[in-house]
Amino acid sequence: MRWHKRLLAAGAVAVVALTSACGGGKVRGAEDSPQPGTSQSAADATFTYVPNLDVVTDWDPASSYSNEIIAMENVYESLTRYNPQTKKAEPRLATSWTSSPDGKEWTFTLRPGVQFHTGKPVDAAAVKASIERTIKVGQGAAYIWGAVDTIEAKDATTVVFKLKYPTALDLVASAGYASYIYDTTAATGDLGKWFNEGHDAGSGPYTIDSWQKGQETELTLKKFDGYWGGWSGQHYSKIAFRVTPELTTAWQLLQRGEVSFVQRLNSQLFQQASGTANVQTSQTPSFQNLLALFNTESGPLKDVRLRQAVQKAIDYDGLVAALKGAGEQASGLVPDGLLGFTAGQAPKQDLPGAEALLKEAGYGPGGKPLDLTLTYAQGDSDQEVLVTLLTSALDKLNVKLTAKPLQWTTQWDQGKSKDTSKRQDIFVMYWYPDYADAYSWFVNVFRSADPISFNLSYMKNDGIDKEIDKLPELTAIDKAGAEQAYADLQTKIIGEQAAVAVPYVQNYQRAYAKSVQGYADNPAYPNVVFVYDLKPGA
Amino acid sequence: MTISGPAGAPTLQPQLRRTALRGLAGMDRLATVGAVLLAVIVLAALLAPLIAPYPDDGGSATHPLEALLPPSGAHWFGTDQVGRDVLSRVLYGARTSLLIAVAVLVIAGVVGVVLGVVAGYAGGWVRDVIMRVTDVFLAFPALLLSLALAVVLQPSVTTVIVAISVTWWPWYARLTASVAASVSTRGFVDSARCLGVPAPVIVFRHVLPNSLTPVLVQLSLDGGGVILTAAALSYLGLGAHEPTSEWGLMVQQGQSLFTTDWWVVTCPGVAILITAFAFNVLGEGLRARLAR
Repeated sequence: MRWHKRLLAAGAVAVVALTSACGGGKVRGAEDSPQPGTSQSAADATFTYVPNLDVVTDWDPASSYSNEIIAMENVYESLTRYNPQTKKAEPRLATSWTSSPDGKEWTFTLRPGVQFHTGKPVDAAAVKASIERTIKVGQGAAYIWGAVDTIEAKDATTVVFKLKYPTALDLVASAGYASYIYDTTAATGDLGKWFNEGHDAGSGPYTIDSWQKGQETELTLKKFDGYWGGWSGQHYSKIAFRVTPELTTAWQLLQRGEVSFVQRLNSQLFQQASGTANVQTSQTPSFQNLLALFNTESGPLKDVRLRQAVQKAIDYDGLVAALKGAGEQASGLVPDGLLGFTAGQAPKQDLPGAEALLKEAGYGPGGKPLDLTLTYAQGDSDQEVLVTLLTSALDKLNVKLTAKPLQWTTQWDQGKSKDTSKRQDIFVMYWYPDYADAYSWFVNVFRSADPISFNLSYMKNDGIDKEIDKLPELTAIDKAGAEQAYADLQTKIIGEQAAVAVPYVQNYQRAYAKSVQGYADNPAYPNVVFVYDLKPGA
Repeated sequence: MTISGPAGAPTLQPQLRRTALRGLAGMDRLATVGAVLLAVIVLAALLAPLIAPYPDDGGSATHPLEALLPPSGAHWFGTDQVGRDVLSRVLYGARTSLLIAVAVLVIAGVVGVVLGVVAGYAGGWVRDVIMRVTDVFLAFPALLLSLALAVVLQPSVTTVIVAISVTWWPWYARLTASVAASVSTRGFVDSARCLGVPAPVIVFRHVLPNSLTPVLVQLSLDGGGVILTAAALSYLGLGAHEPTSEWGLMVQQGQSLFTTDWWVVTCPGVAILITAFAFNVLGEGLRARLAR
């Protein structure tokens, strides 16, 4: 799962800080923690969210790049928020914005009268200071601000960004990570350390109430009375995060009415949930797809014919059928809903084609036996179905695929190994963008990288690199040109280079209590529930 | 079977003796059950290609459009995540499990018995060296050592056989050494030695055959243990891998489906249970009979 990736990318520093900060495992306000449940009166209704992984790895809004997004998006706000219906950024802390014709200067007008949880105002100076700090810290998704040259606080509510090259800055500002606006003056000493002691300095509707690392109810948030949206009408006043790794247990808690929202069920439990009286379900296509990255640099898959053969051996239709709604056919590298999506490119299994390619390379039935290794996420039953189908299909073609389920750290370390003989032939992982834009797949996964980070197909192609580098500018000033560039790149990467296969795009399958009103999944913010937007019902 | 004592048998502690005999008689019936069960399992394994309803499903066939069908006339044990017939895979899985069990018992048995009988006969420093090495292996919990080995080697059925054999032989070595040591002090061994019979001949012709009985009992008892350990290794992803049918692997793949599609995990689970049970009761029965 990619949260592991984020966890690592967020940096060991944060982890060390966390460990030292929460050795006792208890922060503040624990005594006042609400008990999980949904039965309170509307005035003190608690929304209990059930994640299957620990919530917080890094509290610093500059470097946070992991699972804590589910809490952070309720505590912090960015200038804009992505609307998956309109496919555009919409106002959040900024009420309006304009860009110069060349896309290199962006002016954001801020919402007046907004204050941080610390009591200080959210003004242009604070916006400038927080984004500059995020860039300076340089961890997690800080790269999203790569185009920014200078930030100027023109007046209290006007911020002007001057860019090095044109970029859709309103989309960048809506990112799920690294786009948070926060009070950089909240602590006198080391701000990062202060955050990781369990403090926040956001402007969102909720603020940290208690945080007990390692406990089942790891985190509770309480409403921030001074929130700019106000608290008239019905809102949840508290949020509890109850970590439940076992999907079956999570489902039982929801059935008993003890929790409000279950982040993830398997497709069988999801089907069961769909027919349960006191439960609602939602299935939404996500921006998260599974990638099978082929080792283009070393090992047998260095031969492009063999990579193409493996691409053709995947039973794409069968996989989607077996996932029973948890995934759907991919068409290209970019999921539907993002600029760069190419329709009509859904791959099909072609075993005769695969056999012909293998034979051409001297392998296949009657030829030399071919041994391949694959690594994937331990415990991910959807990836397991892919592995079973692919292993069985390749077995018929005299190809022995040895698949190893691994913890993310082990899988990633092996993938990044300097000794190329230790690397796998096929690396399976999920990818989703940091903001609603396809650039992330290309710049992080397929652009040359040394040392290796997420370029786990090890592709080094100057021509492709140059085309990738043009993408942000094209996206900002020439949408049609960007569409074409994305289509061309996908033809090269999936077709000509055969560096990757995209087995499916994941569907988010949520189950939540009947009493929760107004929930809609926003794929730009994976697994996030914007609790302020919900109404607690009976 | 009657349990009355023969005429003239010692009358000391008659109550205790009767109880023991009743136990043995019961054990024999259980042993028969074990032997019959095991025979059925071996037959099922041997005849899997003939009796499996969908023989291809035991190998690399997949039918994802028929994924997770519940038990029915067409699929008595239902289908798994990629639409394979679970009954066919359980039958083919018996082949893998029995192959592992037999291979481990033969390898560990031969290595253990040979080292044990040499140690037991030779005594002195030879015995000390062999027994200390044995102690080193015994010092590690068997499953932990198997796990460590399986992690180092590539996951496969061969790996499982090697990993379990390495942890299993010391038990046979120790057992055989103690029996062989006592056999070596018997008169017929002394006689052979005095007649100038070479040591290897004494060891393998005189000492070995007379030391085998307890090892054979232990081997039959251990069949279940080997199958459980092999299943554990495959369950942890360190043993057999797709598309091989293997019970532990099937349980591992089906565990998250237990509450919704129980048949995927239950059928191979019950197969492991029955086989381990069959080996155990057969072994217990043999032990009881030989102890008489």
